[in-house]
Amino acid sequence: MKMKEYEAKEILSKAGIRIPRGLHIKKGVEFMVTPAIREAVVKAQVEVAGRGKAGGILMAEYDQIPKTVEQLFNAEIKGVPVEEILIEEKLNIQHEYYLSITIDRSKKAPVILFTTEGGVDIEEVAQKNPDAIRKAMVHPLLSTIPGYTLRYLLNGAPKEIGQVIQKLYTVFMTQDAILAEINPLVMTPDGLYAADGKIILDDNALARHGITENRDLSERERQADAYGFSFVELSGNIGVIGNGAGLTMATVDLINNLGGKPANFLDVGGGADRVRVAHAVRLLGKMPDVKVIIVNLLGGITRCDEVAAGIIEAGVGQKIIVRLAGTNETEGKALLSSKGYLMLDTMEEAVKAAVEAAS
Amino acid sequence: MIYADKKTGVIVCGATGNQGSFHIDRMNQYARSVGGRGVVAGVTPGKGGQEVHGVPVYDSILQAAKNQDASAAVLFVPGSAAGDSIMEAADAGLDLVVAITEHIPVHDVMKAVTYAEFRGCNVIGPNCPGLFSPGEISMGIMPAHLASRGPVGVISRSGTLTYEVVHELTRAGIGQSSIVGIGGDPIIGQTFADALGQFAKDPETKAVVILGELGGNLEEEGARAAELPVVAFIAGTTAPPEKRMGHAGAIVTGGEGDAVAKIERLKKTGVPVADRLSQIPSLIRELL
Repeated sequence: MKMKEYEAKEILSKAGIRIPRGLHIKKGVEFMVTPAIREAVVKAQVEVAGRGKAGGILMAEYDQIPKTVEQLFNAEIKGVPVEEILIEEKLNIQHEYYLSITIDRSKKAPVILFTTEGGVDIEEVAQKNPDAIRKAMVHPLLSTIPGYTLRYLLNGAPKEIGQVIQKLYTVFMTQDAILAEINPLVMTPDGLYAADGKIILDDNALARHGITENRDLSERERQADAYGFSFVELSGNIGVIGNGAGLTMATVDLINNLGGKPANFLDVGGGADRVRVAHAVRLLGKMPDVKVIIVNLLGGITRCDEVAAGIIEAGVGQKIIVRLAGTNETEGKALLSSKGYLMLDTMEEAVKAAVEAAS
Repeated sequence: MIYADKKTGVIVCGATGNQGSFHIDRMNQYARSVGGRGVVAGVTPGKGGQEVHGVPVYDSILQAAKNQDASAAVLFVPGSAAGDSIMEAADAGLDLVVAITEHIPVHDVMKAVTYAEFRGCNVIGPNCPGLFSPGEISMGIMPAHLASRGPVGVISRSGTLTYEVVHELTRAGIGQSSIVGIGGDPIIGQTFADALGQFAKDPETKAVVILGELGGNLEEEGARAAELPVVAFIAGTTAPPEKRMGHAGAIVTGGEGDAVAKIERLKKTGVPVADRLSQIPSLIRELL
């Protein structure tokens, strides 16, 4: 789950990384900014890439802050309404650095990226000047980054940045983060500040940090999550239900490759019973664009007769094309054919039929 | 076959839960049908002294390993506890842990896998259907009736996709030596490269099918190091970026892990990639 900027900065601040003086405000709530802030940066708290360029970050002198805040609350940043704003003191920037920690999947370890060329898109630096980026792994059972790793990363940059890297590493490891990034990390006459902060938490570890609801999910994805489905909305007209992520993904791919347009990805998970299958079918039945639903299930622990009963129980209006194989296949097929459902033996036949029915 | 065989004694963790107890029964039915040892002990903390389908239950993996002759474990424990179970199994001196569990925090996996490998214990998974060697052993949840014994190894990041391909292979008369579900998480123990290395040492295996998906670059890494001929299939070629497709590891981030680019890189290393699952049997037949 993505943390908003102000939330990420609170976490950084608690870990001892300095953040600019500022105030987080919500739409419709009165606020007062200390006159000590002569010049402010007013930042929309929206999940939009390229937020600054899209008009989500505005500068304001102290007496212009209320007007600027109002202006930003009334704006949309790439179509996203602004509900929260962070007002921060403008920093006296001498130099900008980039620092991030993520997980290297093949090395199975945290990986730290640091460059003295911060403040810009890191992918751009990687292309134009790859030598400027320093990259180092840390053994995952270590809580302290070894000195030689820090010296390598810094590459001659001021030593106090090493302390920030260590603090960010502690945040990364203790918060179950999959990304912790400070871009830019700013050097001022007064020392180092995290001018922006980005933290993404591992969805599988939210509970142990007291987070009960994953905000990143859409309403329909949230409903699906409550039933134990994996669900992603796409934009087509063929509803897809499968069991297992790989098989469901392969079904979505095959629909696309045969010229159809999948409306979604829905993995009912292992051992789905009648009730869960009925929920899944109804969820797709409620999507206005869905013209036909394909159910592609290969039963290991999933029983085909349960699946068949669930499909019938859902009773949705759309045409349903079924491919069932595995445990209790015969019983499941008998149940469905008695109600006149279209059943096909292989995944390819079923997908072809669905693509035809939807076009 | 690789990793385990008929003689392997297995400990099941999370033995008294629904899944654990159901699959102890299935694994032992299979073991009986092939004359293997199967599950010799179960573990659920606080339930030591009970029995599940005739299998004695212990409070800890260490106790189970002391009392029964076992060298491997299969985990059905909840995600919040599974990282600890992997380390406990490695500490008890086991050689192999198959972690079926989904939704283990990724930091737990990272630490537990590192620790287990340090102790000389291989981890298969997490978030996987396990290991199945036809005629030898079932360590996980794969349906036994789809498989048949033969010269092809299968390595996969996904459960049902594996069953689909094994089903297709069997129908085409092509048997399998071992089927390894390496798991759908961002960090896993045994990778494509590791399992391919095991297959290379197995005299029975002549070719390997690798079933990958978007996210990461383990497929390419494996294909580059492969000593045996390989056929690949990659799921998720039409998935939207930055969206997680069911598996925690099935996500394209910052351009890395894109399925189409992955296929291009595999083809460059000379690996035939099937556009559709149904093409796999004929592609693999050409390599045998």
